[in-house]
Amino acid sequence: MRKKELKLVITFHTTADAMAMEKVCKEQNVPGRIIPVPRAISAGCGLAWCAQLEEREEIAAAMKAAGIEEEAMHECMV
Amino acid sequence: MNLSDSKKKLALAGVVCGIVAALLAYFGNPANMAFCIACFIRDTAGALGMHQAEAVQYARPEIIGLILGSFLISVATKEYRSTAGSSPMIRFILGMIIMIGALVFLGCPLRMVIRMSAGDLNAWVALIGFILGIATGVFALKKGFSLGRSYVSNKESGVVISVIAVGILILAVFTTLLKSSETGPGSMHAPVILALIGGLVFGAFAQKSRMCFAGSIRDIILMKNFDLFCVIAGLFVVMLVFNLATGRFVLGFDTPGIIAHSDHLWNILGMYTVGFAAVLAGGCPLRQLILAGQGSSDAAMTVVGMFVAAALCHNLGLAASGTALDAETQEVVAGAVPLNGKVACVICIVVLFIIAFTNKRESK
Repeated sequence: MRKKELKLVITFHTTADAMAMEKVCKEQNVPGRIIPVPRAISAGCGLAWCAQLEEREEIAAAMKAAGIEEEAMHECMV
Repeated sequence: MNLSDSKKKLALAGVVCGIVAALLAYFGNPANMAFCIACFIRDTAGALGMHQAEAVQYARPEIIGLILGSFLISVATKEYRSTAGSSPMIRFILGMIIMIGALVFLGCPLRMVIRMSAGDLNAWVALIGFILGIATGVFALKKGFSLGRSYVSNKESGVVISVIAVGILILAVFTTLLKSSETGPGSMHAPVILALIGGLVFGAFAQKSRMCFAGSIRDIILMKNFDLFCVIAGLFVVMLVFNLATGRFVLGFDTPGIIAHSDHLWNILGMYTVGFAAVLAGGCPLRQLILAGQGSSDAAMTVVGMFVAAALCHNLGLAASGTALDAETQEVVAGAVPLNGKVACVICIVVLFIIAFTNKRESK
């Protein structure tokens, strides 16, 4: 089994925001991948963006440019 | 205990829910139905007099237990959040559509899996439609489908559905006000206390594991993520073992007495409708009850939509009939979907496409 490590996990208000995030990140080669929101963060069942902790600034900039608002940015074991 | 940090624990949650379903089937719930959200909401709607189909009227404690189980565990673990405001009327319509599709097939996704575990090949056929429906919903998500975000609301708002559930339970146990079937599926049920406890346990474990039949396949299609699928697999395996061990496993299409039909096209289209609508609504019928319990008024609207449509299905003759054995002639009478049901199902699919491709995420 893959070892869990501390990652940056960004949650969104809607699934559509998460899908938009995936599209923008793919187009602009912004690192990360889409994952189900970790259970430790939420009892909901939406999608989240998962990346390395050090990529926070780059991702935040891409989100701002694309007009995608996060619900929250977490650091958790994924 | 953290139920969600490994696939094994998620599967364990499915196993617990499977055991609950198996016990309820053993103690009197209709054969091969055990635990069906659509059927039980339909029965409860009947108990409230919303429809007059005498064979399917009974306030199912399982439904009440699911909502309350989710409510109690979410309060206990501080996960209760009263939210609302994400296109409530569209969610009401999606709830109606989910129920109409489910009653064309004769069961929600949970019952589909339970029927699959009992060898009912009709359910395996319907699974094709369910997966295609979810895939269509995922396509809509990729195209930017959104019902908008929800907002935190007054905490009282999210409790309403749980209070209503308690009210129905009180009426069912302490009065004779509610209708109760004397024959047919509505008359077959496990003892009230067992059904209630079963519902509470199922609800709590479903809340912790985020069990969702539509979500599990959505996550596989969208992200090749099998976490939620593990929960369903656990439930399926337990029910399969139970059915094999108790001689309830009958492989075939025409199986009288299990409330199913072999109208393949409509089994597929019925579950296509459910799968598609469930992805748009953000969860299968079970998940809607759980989300409603943990405070989502949006999910509660979907639940109300399911109740209204369950009544409509029987008032307007939309629901399918199950293959049955004629008591006098001992002949197998094939179940079928009535014309009204077929028309309704097609209308539902058209409406789903309109909802899916007109509600878009607003770019900032």
